[in-house]
Amino acid sequence: MNEELQLKLQAYCDGELAGHNAGEVEAWLAKDPDARALLAELQNTRAALRQFGDDLTLPAPRDFYWSKIQREIRRQENRRTDELPVPWLAALRRFLMPAGAVAAALLGVFLVGEQLRQNDPSRAADMEVAFSDSDTFTYRDFSSGTTLVWLSYPAEIEFAEPDPGDILD
Amino acid sequence: MSESANSSASDEALVQAARGGDMTAFEEIVARHRDKIYARAYTMMRNEEDAVDLSQEAWVKAWQRLSQFQGESSVATWVTRIVINLCLDQLRRQKRHRAESIEEMNEESGGVERQMPAVEVNPTERLERAELRERIDQALAQLTYAHRTVLVLHEFQGMEYKEIARTMDCSIGTVMSRLFYARRKMAVLLADLKSENEADAK
Repeated sequence: MNEELQLKLQAYCDGELAGHNAGEVEAWLAKDPDARALLAELQNTRAALRQFGDDLTLPAPRDFYWSKIQREIRRQENRRTDELPVPWLAALRRFLMPAGAVAAALLGVFLVGEQLRQNDPSRAADMEVAFSDSDTFTYRDFSSGTTLVWLSYPAEIEFAEPDPGDILD
Repeated sequence: MSESANSSASDEALVQAARGGDMTAFEEIVARHRDKIYARAYTMMRNEEDAVDLSQEAWVKAWQRLSQFQGESSVATWVTRIVINLCLDQLRRQKRHRAESIEEMNEESGGVERQMPAVEVNPTERLERAELRERIDQALAQLTYAHRTVLVLHEFQGMEYKEIARTMDCSIGTVMSRLFYARRKMAVLLADLKSENEADAK
């Protein structure tokens, strides 16, 4: 008898087998004495267990058993009461929490705006060589309104080695 | 509600009063069903102390969740579900702390019991109730927690396969396999106990 048949037989015993399968098991039971013996065993075990089910008595007197339940209920209710916030603090919290959230949002908007403003390419600091031939550099910082001109004098170009071709005899 | 009124009130009336904060009504509910809740915890835990503690915890939870009780089942059935879940949690915690035995590793396949011939005679017939209880108690103690739980939920609690699968968080196939193995093992253990007792008597 394979496992599948055994489990089918058990499902039949427990009333968990649908019509067609139940008929199949019944046909099998009719011709197989081992299957009938197994079914009888399953039924006997089930009946014995069901008799036994609630046949136990609590080994503690009623008052003793109840007093622990009652204490625990009260302890947990007291704990919940202790955890509840005092009314004025709760009211303050109710006001502070949305106000704090609005303030945080405004601060965030301000900071992002400031960052974008500083990153604006049109406002970025600029350095340019105004007169490349004379080695003059100009530095402009638009945010602070500063312009700095740096002159190299004498112009480095004047000290450059002359191109031999430029030397006139 | 007064104590005498409580004792004659229906469970439904007591639940209603307890929902309104009447603790004496709740005490009456506990008194009526405490044996049943304890019995369920004991069959699962096999330990008197754990069973008492968990059954008390179940009543505390029942008090806290009274507003959720819809009355679709009896209050005893509802609290039994609570205690079963507490026992399952406790057993899972215990299982995490101990190594799997060979027997437990074998539990899905069913071990040798699956292959054994059926026990032909009812091993529990002609037994006194107390003797039967003791015999079954001993046999249940020898099952692994998974097999014992599936038996308890099916035989004592009357749950269907799919309900057990949901409660134990496993497949229906696993439930069927565990149930079959548990029953076969129970039959073998009960037969063994019977023959031991008969040999002692001679």
